[in-house]
Amino acid sequence: MSEGFTQRVPRKFLGKYRPKIDGPEKASGKAQYADDLTIKMRFPDLLYAKVLHSPYPHARIKGFDLSKAKALPGVAAIMSFKDPEFASLKLTNAGWTDCVDTVPWDRMMFQFRDRRVLGEYACWVGDEMGFAVAAESEEIADEALKLIVIDWEILPFVLDPIAAMKPEAPLVHQDLCTTNILSPDPTGGEDVFEDRGDVDADFGKAEVVVEGTSIHHNATQNSMDNWCCLVDWESDQLTVWSNTYAADQLRMHIHEMLGLPLHKIRAIASYVGGQFGRGDTGDQPFFLFTALLARKTGRPVKFRHTRRESFLNSRQPAIYTCKAGAKRDGTITSMYFKSIGNVGAYADLSMFALKFVPKELAEMVLAHIPNLRMESYGVYTNGLPGCMMRGVGNSQFNLIFGHMIDLLAEKLDMDPIDLCVKNFAHEWESLPSKSLDSVLHEGARRIGWKEKRHLPGKGETFEGVKKRGVGFSCHPAWHAEWQEKRRGQVQVAMTLNPDCTVLLNAASIEIGGGSNTCNVLGCAEALSFLGIGVEDIHWSSIVDTNDGLKDCVQTDSAVSYLQSEVMMHSARELKEKLREIAARQLKLHPDQIDFSDGRIVVPAMPELAMTVKELLQKGDMAPVTVNKSMAPDVTLTGIPFFANFAEVEVDTSTGKVTVLKLVVINDCGTVMYASGAEGQQIGGQCMGMGEALTEEIIYDRATGIPLNFNWIDYTIPTMADMPDIDPVLMEVWKGVGEYGACGIGEGTVTCTPRAILNAIYNAIGVRVNDIPIKPEKIIKALGKD
Amino acid sequence: MPAKETEVTYRAMDADTLSASQYRTIRIRVNDVWHDFALGADLSASSTLSFVLREKLGFTGLKVSCDEGACGACTVIKDGKAVLSCMVLAVECDGHDIQTIEGLPKDDPVVEAFAEQSEPGYGTALQCGYCTPGFVMTARALLNENPAPTLTEVKDALAGNICRCGCYAGIAQAVLRASAKIAETAKTAVARSGV
Repeated sequence: MSEGFTQRVPRKFLGKYRPKIDGPEKASGKAQYADDLTIKMRFPDLLYAKVLHSPYPHARIKGFDLSKAKALPGVAAIMSFKDPEFASLKLTNAGWTDCVDTVPWDRMMFQFRDRRVLGEYACWVGDEMGFAVAAESEEIADEALKLIVIDWEILPFVLDPIAAMKPEAPLVHQDLCTTNILSPDPTGGEDVFEDRGDVDADFGKAEVVVEGTSIHHNATQNSMDNWCCLVDWESDQLTVWSNTYAADQLRMHIHEMLGLPLHKIRAIASYVGGQFGRGDTGDQPFFLFTALLARKTGRPVKFRHTRRESFLNSRQPAIYTCKAGAKRDGTITSMYFKSIGNVGAYADLSMFALKFVPKELAEMVLAHIPNLRMESYGVYTNGLPGCMMRGVGNSQFNLIFGHMIDLLAEKLDMDPIDLCVKNFAHEWESLPSKSLDSVLHEGARRIGWKEKRHLPGKGETFEGVKKRGVGFSCHPAWHAEWQEKRRGQVQVAMTLNPDCTVLLNAASIEIGGGSNTCNVLGCAEALSFLGIGVEDIHWSSIVDTNDGLKDCVQTDSAVSYLQSEVMMHSARELKEKLREIAARQLKLHPDQIDFSDGRIVVPAMPELAMTVKELLQKGDMAPVTVNKSMAPDVTLTGIPFFANFAEVEVDTSTGKVTVLKLVVINDCGTVMYASGAEGQQIGGQCMGMGEALTEEIIYDRATGIPLNFNWIDYTIPTMADMPDIDPVLMEVWKGVGEYGACGIGEGTVTCTPRAILNAIYNAIGVRVNDIPIKPEKIIKALGKD
Repeated sequence: MPAKETEVTYRAMDADTLSASQYRTIRIRVNDVWHDFALGADLSASSTLSFVLREKLGFTGLKVSCDEGACGACTVIKDGKAVLSCMVLAVECDGHDIQTIEGLPKDDPVVEAFAEQSEPGYGTALQCGYCTPGFVMTARALLNENPAPTLTEVKDALAGNICRCGCYAGIAQAVLRASAKIAETAKTAVARSGV
């Protein structure tokens, strides 16, 4: 099926098709996740925590009676929002950082502090609030919550963001805000956060003007590994096992909120069963109430979400409108994007998606559009909080971006591929972008763009009612530039044992993306002068803040190359140390010594036949250790692009859309691990197709209650639903450093919905722009309802 | 595989036995070893098989992700058939044979095929790995019954399992590869026996 991928620079270990490093451990069921590491057998004294989930979309606790709940046998502690431990805590949010740096409370990226660790207010159905219980079993803890007698003040609620913007709308945070519209913040900027040239004047003189709308709903991450933590707080030492993906940040979160010094907090994490952006950066209040229950009871306390409770946040939903002006020759002269984001009950990182990322895109892809305005409003509602999900803000923006391309191209009677190549490139490069050009033409070839594309709705009809079409969408990997500019220190510790085996500590929590495989391969590659193989390198899935390294957080899939890049430097330093050791042993100058494939090479002594291992066995046999901490270089490299092409079949009698084929093309800079990268490309289509066609959180509008917080009614595509997928890896662009790679995991999802939507338009000649595209929307669009 | 012994030990569970159940011991054969549980003390009539396997016996290979029969992460093999252990009560397993992923041999072709999957065009058969034990056990049960399934049969059998990382293409390939490994082993065995 696949043509496979050939490396630009041949390498010994990296960039190959090969099994995952953790394959045997995971395939045999031996891999241990947070829930496994914290079973009661390992903590016989364990208690289980549960927290009240609000039954109302908007309410306040006026009064309560705990006596019945406290009397339940097996209940160890009940804490309430009235307890001084909670009443004294600072207001917080669940997304302090941009996931790159560890930050304290006062430097949180978006300064919306609207969450209480346990509050008296309920702001959505499911809000964790009011009371937390520790008991001998989860069942007892649940029962105790039911026995708490609560006197509720039920407040009016609002679910629709447009309604929530109106002055008469109920206030989601009546104690904190005077309007549901988020105020401009220092990071996101003003409501109009980008305004260059003169958009209005250009619309007046542009030869072609088009307008479009797109609506992205609240799909949710649905990591299979439900959030889980266990906190043990003995005397002044707190240890937390969890499936966070940012251990160092978790340590800082606890330090800042609970006041323990950093050396008294130990955060341990292992494999995580999928992250996808859930919980934003993980500064979740449940870590704190679990910790306070552990302190109160003096016993280890475990908290784990049920599947229903794991519907904790969603992709930041956004309604985008755009107006674009162009010349007859296809030169885009103006674009005006406006978005209204439903941030749900808590702001967290919403403005990351709504302002920060589009602002980046203004420079990354729209740099050559002279007149550009971007405007955005985040709006509180009494629904599921918006959050990051596999690419913060990208999917939402791409849904309108790809729409405008298709609209403009149609009006200009141009191939949309040509329109893209003509207009889009990074600010540091001139048009056309070689990366974009390569990605789009390769995609076109793989899907059969020229042969299959036809006038909208004018293609062949199959079985009397079925129409087929093709579409695509493209996007820049904007974070590739951002990583280089913004990533802080990336830390790796490498130890060479006297038997020439290696202990690698490239701290990063493996969430599935395969960065651990990349790291081990990268280590072998960097140390190839030692003649070692992958089997000679020890690595661990356990990340422990007591190791003294900041874990490199799995965002932008950047860990796949960032730590390998550092290892190139570690290897150089290690080589220097080995030279000195060899010089002492051989009574030579270090400059006279080199190494090749595990052997010592001294040009002046061609007869010398000594391996590095033999050398290391001669001296005091102390391991040779290199600790490296460095920030990535800053070089103006521009960015690579990626694209998705889709072929669909629409049954015009039922409205059912069947995706026949997906092609996903990524310019990776350097492919670090081909099988893993293709796995990401293929896997991303599952999530992207789900978001486009089936996945949707549905509320009962009368009560504000979400109806489908389960996997029967929230429909994730299964093996039977997925079409053939053609993963295409390319190396056109190159970033900075030895590898100059770019993470691709998040981006594989970004363009899928819009590619499918444009294909649907090509098939039936009618546009549907609010996802998910369920059959009833097609039927309605066709005027058959 | 369910031994003869299993059939002998099996006692039908009727309303009367259930009412007296708090005084009973139930026996479950897990990975060829019998385990006794005192109902009322070790577990209750509502304890699920997944709870017993993970929390009482420490078989943490299976995962409880949805706990309502929607995802397949907790799949184990009961008397030769794949079952969702979150939807099976422990008391229903009294006298029955359960195989968890820990009970598969070290060189099980399904486990090996999932671990090795990497050829161009299909990605890997696992990323985060959380769903993997469930997929492996569902695939193992399929191949026990049908050692040479078609791609359509594989998709049909595994469509009840969710992989949120979306490794379906790699998983399907791994199952077909496991099937080929089984056929290869059978051929070698026949050749060795000189038939």
